[in-house]
Amino acid sequence: MPAQLKEVRNRMKSVQSTQQITKAMKMVSASKLRRATDRIVKMRPYANKMQEVMSNIASGSGINIELAKEREIKNVLIVPVTSDRGLAGAFNGNIVKLAKQLIEEKYHAQAKSKKVTIMPVGKKAFDAFKRSGHIIKPDFFEMFHHLSFDESLKASEWMMQAYKNGEYDVIEIVYAQFKNAATQIFKVERFLPVPKADTGKKKESINYIFEPDQDELVNALIPRVLNTQFFKSLLDSNASEHGARMTAMDKATENAQELLRDLSIKYNRARQAAITTELSEIVGGAAALQG
Amino acid sequence: MQLDILTPEKKIFSGKAQSVSLPGVQGRFQVLENHAPIISALQKGELKVISDSQESKWNISGGLVEVLKNKVTVLVEAVV
Repeated sequence: MPAQLKEVRNRMKSVQSTQQITKAMKMVSASKLRRATDRIVKMRPYANKMQEVMSNIASGSGINIELAKEREIKNVLIVPVTSDRGLAGAFNGNIVKLAKQLIEEKYHAQAKSKKVTIMPVGKKAFDAFKRSGHIIKPDFFEMFHHLSFDESLKASEWMMQAYKNGEYDVIEIVYAQFKNAATQIFKVERFLPVPKADTGKKKESINYIFEPDQDELVNALIPRVLNTQFFKSLLDSNASEHGARMTAMDKATENAQELLRDLSIKYNRARQAAITTELSEIVGGAAALQG
Repeated sequence: MQLDILTPEKKIFSGKAQSVSLPGVQGRFQVLENHAPIISALQKGELKVISDSQESKWNISGGLVEVLKNKVTVLVEAVV
């Protein structure tokens, strides 16, 4: 068999086995994605109710919220949320890029004087930032090993405590919001200080009994809202990761299919050419003998 | 009255109940049919529900309750 034929055949085999892997990964991601979206759906009633109660209480204006006070920004904490594993298309790259861009554009001065801390969540974020020259807070980067509310709580409470202690003046989360399997919205969300809620629409106030009083209740409630919000970001990111991987692997499988088609055409051509040469050699040989 | 107990990870109770007893931050209290509207923070303690003369209990780590028009929603941070 001519050398070229064998080469093409080997190539086809390797593409085929790669395709098998990408196909399997796509299936796995699809099922993980379903579980991840399930968790978001289960979380939603809780988060919505929390928001609703919050707005019910806060409708009485003039409440002094400790965690919403703006301070002069000296120390910054950035929390990029990525996945633990790669092969998810541009998913992790986009998060890292967005985080870097945020530091470059908004916190340039703080970065220069080494006042930017990175708290990576997810192994890829940790890898991307460990040599970036910023201070790294690596305590929580393995959160996705067992993603649960308890784990998320530890991180969000640590952040609130650090903010209260004045270690950081602003905390920003960079994550991918889940829209659907093919679309993620990469965004930066300010975690602390709490962004001012829009007081635009006033609901008719119900005469609630508040226990303890409104002020205290709000201040007790905000940490809970933040815990919920942070957990939601993690779930979102988790679902986005699987969605991104699913689309990436689907695309890869498709590309492999295309490559295989081209290769098989090439293979058949080479085979045909080999047969033709062989035939003409035989005919030529026979003619020479007769001559 | 309608009672829903929600955690961030799942719904642990949804249905009719006759009585809910809650660990409020200013002391335990009980919610019965036609309770006045109230929003209260909850502390660590026991959450007791009587539904169809059956009693169920959970130990919660804290949370929040809202009662409005015979609809009770308990938001629980974690069940231990």
